[in-house]
Amino acid sequence: MITAEQQRSWAQQLMTAGDAGLPGIGLGWLTQAREAARQAVAELPVLDRKQEAWRYTSIEALIKHRFRPVCDTDNWLVLDINDCLLPNFDSFRLVFTNGQFDPQLSAIKDLPDGLVVGSLRAGLTTDPELLATWFGQTANHTEHVFTALNTALVNDGVFVRVGSQVQLDRPIEVIYLSQTDEDPLSMQARNLVVLDAGAKATLVERFVGFGPSPYFHNNLTEISVGKGASLNHYRVQDESRSAYHLSSLYLSQQAKSRYQGTTLAFGGTWARTDYNATFKQQGAICELNGLYTVGDQQLTDFHLNVQHSVPGCVSREQFKGVLYGKGRAVFDGRILVDKQAQHSDAQLTNDNLMLTRNAEVDTKPQLEIYADDVKCSHGTTVGQLDPQQVFYLRSRGIDETAARKMLCLGFAAEVLDSIEVPVLREAVTRKLSDTLNATVVADG
Amino acid sequence: MLSIRNLQVAIEDKTILRGLNLDVGSGEVHAIMGPNGSGKSTLSHVLAGRDGYQVTAGEVLFDGEDLLALEPEQRAHQGIFLGMQYPVELPGVNNMMFMRESLNAIRRARGEAELDAVEFLQRVREKARLVELDEKLLKRNVNAGFSGGEKKRNEILQMAMLEPRLAILDETDSGLDIDALRIIAGGVNALRSPERSIILITHYQRLLDYVQPDTVHVLVDGRIIRSGDKGLALELEEKGYGWIEQEAAA
Repeated sequence: MITAEQQRSWAQQLMTAGDAGLPGIGLGWLTQAREAARQAVAELPVLDRKQEAWRYTSIEALIKHRFRPVCDTDNWLVLDINDCLLPNFDSFRLVFTNGQFDPQLSAIKDLPDGLVVGSLRAGLTTDPELLATWFGQTANHTEHVFTALNTALVNDGVFVRVGSQVQLDRPIEVIYLSQTDEDPLSMQARNLVVLDAGAKATLVERFVGFGPSPYFHNNLTEISVGKGASLNHYRVQDESRSAYHLSSLYLSQQAKSRYQGTTLAFGGTWARTDYNATFKQQGAICELNGLYTVGDQQLTDFHLNVQHSVPGCVSREQFKGVLYGKGRAVFDGRILVDKQAQHSDAQLTNDNLMLTRNAEVDTKPQLEIYADDVKCSHGTTVGQLDPQQVFYLRSRGIDETAARKMLCLGFAAEVLDSIEVPVLREAVTRKLSDTLNATVVADG
Repeated sequence: MLSIRNLQVAIEDKTILRGLNLDVGSGEVHAIMGPNGSGKSTLSHVLAGRDGYQVTAGEVLFDGEDLLALEPEQRAHQGIFLGMQYPVELPGVNNMMFMRESLNAIRRARGEAELDAVEFLQRVREKARLVELDEKLLKRNVNAGFSGGEKKRNEILQMAMLEPRLAILDETDSGLDIDALRIIAGGVNALRSPERSIILITHYQRLLDYVQPDTVHVLVDGRIIRSGDKGLALELEEKGYGWIEQEAAA
């Protein structure tokens, strides 16, 4: 059990330690947001089992760590960046090492007209008015203690703006490299992604972690997809096995826009992704896909909150999990269809493949429908590999380990196929294949 | 090639096979017929190594080696192939990829070089024509959304790809219309060779009009109670199984 006091003092300690050197001190709107967030930290309820959204995801282990906020001197890296890059992947690349933008490792030269890509920190100096327009437009800063903490400590992150009718043929790639030695670090990435009307872009975010110490990556991303615009957004969470990772995404879509998000979650000891999607105007399509693997000492949580608040929008959510060892997963998929949101079309599925008896998933699809002319469905499954399928493959000369692995990869195929960037799809498939080694797929 | 001696098999303490004897020589085609519940599918599953069956007595020798000591994949490596009565769907597993993995796993186990993508593609296309299987189905997931007839053709395609030494076809003819039956039978006939033996397990004489067996066996209540030539199958078709059961009991 944790108390409100423990939660507050933990957050307070981080805010006090992280206060020095924050950018944008002279910006009134930012100071105001930070101040409101600080205030909220002191008042927000403790995220214990009584909070439905946190019922199966205890923050106890997280707030037991005394994290130190990253500072300028944490911008170091002993590993070779080339080991972290996708082969032959031509992207506009931003690299953050321990939460700080690293211009040397990044590659954002020769941007086409109408594209702004850079670090948020730099943007606070060069483009404060532009940031002021978008900052906090879709996010709820005081949703809970972690969003408040992120806002109070806005330091660095990505700022992307794709101008009206600009269609990018090269993906934007963001790599968050986290590397610890002795100190448990905390980083609060803050991202702002704006697509103007008719824009088209692909955004790839990759979280890569190394080192023995735990760290806490508290990521908050606001995404606005303008009228008729289209964003493909891929997130590969491959944090270190001792990492705590929280991604809070706030998505807002204008008329006839399209957002396709695919999240792959492999790493972390505690990893949670919250998607909050809101349709602002009719005819928008939102597609969320996810794949997670969890083993011993791992908890992965997805919370989806899709709000059909206007008529005629489409949402598709497909999440699949492969659980092994004593791995734990939590899935909560909520679709809310407001009374005025007629002709909404929503589908949600969550399928879990349990490779061992000791793995656990708590899955909860929720449809709340207040309109009367809609097409909505949801379904979840929790199952094991089918012995008949395993036998079929073995009878064709494929050994048991390979057979089980082939079926696991087959289970994940639909989500992997939703990745439209071949290099990324191959890398992720390889990662999944490596994760599902002989021990993991063995009949438990 | 295959020698089954006094085979006794139980499922969860219920005895299914009660002392079955069968010899299949190289290049021979044997048909095993029998009423529902006589143990036909049990026999095919035990030969292929499926879990859940207890062999309580007897032995099965394949080229003089103890077949029952082998894992299912090892049996496939030795050249055993089971055409399933109910081929399962494998979601997300591409049919072509599956067949290539299967073929190469067997080739590796035999110390043969793997087929590269081009060689494999050539072979699978050629064999798909043999069973008149639409190439589109090669690109789909294994058996996913296939019709009953397409699933069975996909089984015979795998048999053609893997070139087994002993193929056991478990009710491959059931649920097929006459055209599909003719295609399947054509595929099986094309694969007959002096080095390959085939066991056809079937309810009906119909398949045997197209694939002429060397020997027909009648399996009743876990035992082969009569063997004969193709004429036996015709006799069964005409009279049913009752008379033969009575004769055997007498």
